[in-house]
Amino acid sequence: MKKTLIAAGFASLMSTTAMAETIGVSMALFDDNFLTVLRNGIQELADGMEGVDVQIEDAQNDVAKQLDQINNFAASGVDAIIVNPVDTSATEAMTKAAADAGVPLVYVNRQPINVDTLPDNQAFVASNEIESGTLETFEVCKMLRAMGKGGGAKAYVMMGELSNQAAVQRTKDVEDILGTDMCNFISVVDQQTANWSRDEAQDLMTNWLSTGEEFDAVIANNDEMAIGAIQAMKAQGLDMAEIVVGGVDATQDALAAMQAGDLDVTVFQNAAGQGGGALDAALRLSRGEDVDQKVYIPFELVTPANVDEYTSKN
Amino acid sequence: MSETSHGIGGLSFDAKKRAWPNEMNVFIALIAIIVIFEILGQVLPYMKGQSLLFDFNTNRDGTILNMVRLKIIILQVSIIGIIAIGSTQVIISGGIDLSPGSIVGLTAMVAMSFAQTALVNGNPNPKAIFGEAWMDLPVIVPIVVAIAVGTFAGLVNGLLVAYTRIPPFIATLGMMVAARGAAKWWSKGQPISFPTEPFGAIGNGMSGWSPVVIFIGLAILFHFILKYTVYGKHTYAIGSNEDAARMSGIKVDRHKVLVYTIAGILAGLSALVLASKNLTAQAGMGVMYELDAIAMTVIGGVSLAGGRGSIVGTVLGALIFGVIISGFTYLRLDAYYQEMVKGVIIVAAVVLDQWRRQRAAARA
Repeated sequence: MKKTLIAAGFASLMSTTAMAETIGVSMALFDDNFLTVLRNGIQELADGMEGVDVQIEDAQNDVAKQLDQINNFAASGVDAIIVNPVDTSATEAMTKAAADAGVPLVYVNRQPINVDTLPDNQAFVASNEIESGTLETFEVCKMLRAMGKGGGAKAYVMMGELSNQAAVQRTKDVEDILGTDMCNFISVVDQQTANWSRDEAQDLMTNWLSTGEEFDAVIANNDEMAIGAIQAMKAQGLDMAEIVVGGVDATQDALAAMQAGDLDVTVFQNAAGQGGGALDAALRLSRGEDVDQKVYIPFELVTPANVDEYTSKN
Repeated sequence: MSETSHGIGGLSFDAKKRAWPNEMNVFIALIAIIVIFEILGQVLPYMKGQSLLFDFNTNRDGTILNMVRLKIIILQVSIIGIIAIGSTQVIISGGIDLSPGSIVGLTAMVAMSFAQTALVNGNPNPKAIFGEAWMDLPVIVPIVVAIAVGTFAGLVNGLLVAYTRIPPFIATLGMMVAARGAAKWWSKGQPISFPTEPFGAIGNGMSGWSPVVIFIGLAILFHFILKYTVYGKHTYAIGSNEDAARMSGIKVDRHKVLVYTIAGILAGLSALVLASKNLTAQAGMGVMYELDAIAMTVIGGVSLAGGRGSIVGTVLGALIFGVIISGFTYLRLDAYYQEMVKGVIIVAAVVLDQWRRQRAAARA
């Protein structure tokens, strides 16, 4: 973080030099693993470009502070602004502030509430949440088929916090995939929430195991719950080669579990790719080029076959 | 004082009441809830006659009881149960402690930092907090660290409550917020993972029974301490009438510091088991645990007014929680209903208890 601050400070000094394009960046929070990778993605891409400077600021999860930062960027005449919104329902004011100043604006990672009414010089770069659960479930389905269980298989589904949009979406993706002709051989024994938590997932899995029901797969909304399920199953002496377990996030813990042969599927959300995509969109908007208003950076499927490529990415 | 000091909180005790302890009501409630689940298992058509506690059909491990379920019923409440042992003492002394959940988060983070292993699947630990010299330390190091962090947090709580005279609700609310902040600050919100094998055994040893053994062991220990030591008698005395306790020569302030410190240590031990069982520490660990712990004590018959209650009651309260969680999964009912029923039971337990006491008072 110190390094980034120095870099940001340096960038702001450099911004006074002629010809350079300056992009102001307001991140919701510096102290977040995923957002740090995203932020570094912006920084590294900018470092590799001639005449592009970025000035990155930390909104510290404060909506008001973030709006102030955007107004300050606009007042100091940056060429474009990238915002990782603190609160996705508070973006209307940011859009207006940038539009009034005539500065292009790009939202990154978190979908602003006004995404469908953005002015022409504003855009949104993120991953499409629908993909994560879909990729995960489809791969679980393919693995079960490859294991010769295409005649009928049973799965448990672990959901994240029920009030959370990603949990709702990923669970719906599971249902959608299991409704297709190719994957409808999988029936869901039960689906319950474990609130994204490894501990709750351990307990939930053990409760499921106590029913004595046979099953072939566990499809979890995130990696933490998948790991919790694995720990519970191993504690009961189940053979993890026989059971397909899927998660989402490709965390370091999950990748280690995959390398150990316990986790079978996870999905990588490309933080650095989103950061790079946002910078690219911001630069093109500042040059008056045409940009898609919604740019989606694809999720990437991680399986034992390609897990080694991902160990250094998160 | 000498007349009542063997009983609870200076209330007058008659023989009938001692023959029918309050814990017996909690135990009956526990059995009633189990019976309801067993009946639903037989009555609901989709359950196909399954049983909550018994295993008639599959007989997987050669026992008539469903051992997997019996284990999870108590295992899933053991970690919060350890906290509840501390909460019981704090509440009996007339206080309240809102901070254990956050102390768990902080302690887990700090202790796990001293429990990391250098190599994960042959690669360097990707979550390393300190340098290599701090890797693969003997398991006693994180244990001592956890106890130290818990002691410190509890001590601060106790000193605030005893010597600044601010209400315990406020003092421990402050600790709740501050300790959670410290937990997030420790690694800038990043989870800490990949502990050494001996550390993992704390929460996973004895074929996964070790959290239960630690919980029950601590419960027995503090049951005897509360019942048969001066510490226990003073705790009840302060909770039932602080002024009277002070006048009878009990060092109330010093005693309160001790009670909150013990609660902090128990939160630290709970964090140790939690981090070990999950092989990870995260800043968000333990959120709302204090409220579950308080709910367990209240269901177990501990009076929030102080002076009344016992560890046995709290353990039974924890078991009621465990049966409800497992019972709902067994009936395949969604978590929504589980939380709604939990809420109802918490309130019902207190209402029934008060109603019973009013009736007893009217009779006397």
